[in-house]
Amino acid sequence: MDIGTISLVVLMGMLVLLAIGMPLGFASGFLAVVVMVMKFGPDLLFSNFGTGPLNLLGQRIYGITTSYVLVSVPLFIFMANLLERSGIARDMYDTLEKWMSRTRGGIAVVTALMAVVMAAMSGIIGGEVVLLGLIALPQMLRLGYDQNLAIGTICASGSLGTMIPPSIVLIFYGLITDTSIHALFQAAFVPGFILAGCYIAYILIRTNLQPHLAPLPEPREGDLTGPQKRIYGLSLVLIIVAAAAAIMVARGLYFNAAGLVDEDTNYASASYLMKAGAVSAGLVGLLVFGIGLKTAKAAWDSGKGMVAPLLVVFVVLGSIYGGVTGITEAAGIGSVAVLLLIIIRGEFSWRILQEASMRTFKSTGTIMWVTIGATALAGAYTLSGGPTYVANLIVGMDISTLSVLLIMMLVFLFMGAFMDWTGIVLLVMPVFLPIVLKLPRDELGLFGGLDSQLAVQVWFGVLFCVNMQVSFLSPPFGGAAFYLKSVAPPHITLPQIFRSFLPFIGIQIVVLMLILFVPQITTLFL
Amino acid sequence: MTVVEHETTGPLDKLIWAISRVTMWLPAFIVAIILFEVVLRYVFQRPTLWVNETSLWVAGAVYMFAGLYSMQQRSHIRIFILYDLAPRWLRRTFDVISTICICVFAFALVWGSFDEALEKLMTWERFGTKFNPPIPATIKPLILVTTALLALQAISNLIYDWNKDQGERQFVEGIEDLLEDLGEDHLAARPSGGAEGHSGQTPDVSQQKAKPGQRTE
Repeated sequence: MDIGTISLVVLMGMLVLLAIGMPLGFASGFLAVVVMVMKFGPDLLFSNFGTGPLNLLGQRIYGITTSYVLVSVPLFIFMANLLERSGIARDMYDTLEKWMSRTRGGIAVVTALMAVVMAAMSGIIGGEVVLLGLIALPQMLRLGYDQNLAIGTICASGSLGTMIPPSIVLIFYGLITDTSIHALFQAAFVPGFILAGCYIAYILIRTNLQPHLAPLPEPREGDLTGPQKRIYGLSLVLIIVAAAAAIMVARGLYFNAAGLVDEDTNYASASYLMKAGAVSAGLVGLLVFGIGLKTAKAAWDSGKGMVAPLLVVFVVLGSIYGGVTGITEAAGIGSVAVLLLIIIRGEFSWRILQEASMRTFKSTGTIMWVTIGATALAGAYTLSGGPTYVANLIVGMDISTLSVLLIMMLVFLFMGAFMDWTGIVLLVMPVFLPIVLKLPRDELGLFGGLDSQLAVQVWFGVLFCVNMQVSFLSPPFGGAAFYLKSVAPPHITLPQIFRSFLPFIGIQIVVLMLILFVPQITTLFL
Repeated sequence: MTVVEHETTGPLDKLIWAISRVTMWLPAFIVAIILFEVVLRYVFQRPTLWVNETSLWVAGAVYMFAGLYSMQQRSHIRIFILYDLAPRWLRRTFDVISTICICVFAFALVWGSFDEALEKLMTWERFGTKFNPPIPATIKPLILVTTALLALQAISNLIYDWNKDQGERQFVEGIEDLLEDLGEDHLAARPSGGAEGHSGQTPDVSQQKAKPGQRTE
């Protein structure tokens, strides 16, 4: 059967099977079999039991299970599950709220900032929106914040988890397209912060233009004053630098004492240790005698809720970007860090560990079997020459580079409204990316193109990631809305929630266009 | 236990539930051995050979068993928009079609890969690295076994859910238990009718917050 017919059958079959409520992963798996039957005919496929072209399905699934970077997925899920069950997020909220409550729109900004920090800890959406919905939404509504602003802020910034590294969407993209995930993580940082920055700017501008949207709380006794904030902020920085220097000294002393120093060991020389020791001692002296122990203690109390989350971010991202460990190990160490924090906070119980494990297991099964089904379908479709067919179809349309890209963005946005991102990245990316790679590189973007294939792959991955940000908010299946609905007061309806997303979707599309037209944003740190 | 699990309705449900009770600890196990490796490498500078490949091996098993558990818990990703609108008899038709499709997939997978999996198991094929775990010999057959079990579980779900009223569906799978878990101290700390969102963990702060809270009420 010719590939055009097969493509049509796959498309129609997918729509029908999804519509009748068949699980996505198994629908893909079944369609893989359909493609094989249409390509080879039932005689060839089922003539000998135990062998034949159908072996491809098993091969593809086995290939997925032996990808080392994919091991990070259950680990990131595990970490997110642990985080959700600890009071770390709540403390972070309390701390940020102390510093920001006197600012117009402060609680909304706090929500966005919290979301960014949580996004940098792990790469999952869902838990974040739920947490913010539980912690920040009641506060904002109680203070009389505009409901739409509050909901939009929570869901838009809560979705950043899959945009700001480590991001599970980028991990899958890298896996499917053979792109360096390290490079993807480096590239996604700036766009992620642009997006978060735009949300915060929007909140600040809007609430300052229309102050009734975000009333200020009544002043109260414990409020930090301006000078207090300055001295507390300075003390906090000093404390952290002093502690970091002290840790480096301890590490160097240990390495020297244990005789582990060799030519590869950095930061263990005598002169370095002297310097770090002097910095540490000097700062401690400044804190004790210059600022005063009492003030330093007060500063610590006002900021300690932020220290734990930032420490986890530092551990996870530091080990990835610093090249200390791979992504899988970073996810494992991140889980350990969160677990340690939970133990230190006295919240640990076997029940927490067991429940986190159980939920991790369930989510892993869900996400992995979508992957397994989709990889089988992608394999069968590739074998029948599908991607080449679609590529020729689009190239044959003889339209400009920009139009091709815009069409792809529209397809992503449309599919994102109906389908889970895992399915899109696994099913559509093997078709789209080869087309993008064939486009003339110097025509990408408005101001000069990209100079290498890696840059194009990375840029397209980031574009996809922003697309998926929109998909979390877009009706009728925007995931964030359903997560929020499940924790919001009952009087808030789904249509209201989706309406509140509009300005944020607008911001996302502006940022999407920005990255589309200025691809260099993604290659700043490559 | 506050985690809301789907009830176990049939013999297969009970078997898979029991397997999951053990295998659900595997992600935590991977975390533990990664910690071991990192400590050995950076504190004692004596990296191990086996951790990376063992975590790969264990993770492969996790993906497979977790899929079974998700199936037993009815938590695989699906779209309910049309399904929920359909009358009862049509829903049953949809379910039958879905189940048949899942069985076809499992059947085709086993058909095409049986010989290879059996051969790898019989020759105890190893991964071909220094540590050399028998990943092909175990994971390949495991893929076939779990997929077959998945198909059986799908049939079991069909039978046991035949007469069940779906009732009001939770929009996001698994959210109810998360909510319950997160919300219990959260809700308990809320004064009746108030929107106070703090537990007793940070008493000083929640006392401060009580002031504006009273103001609005």
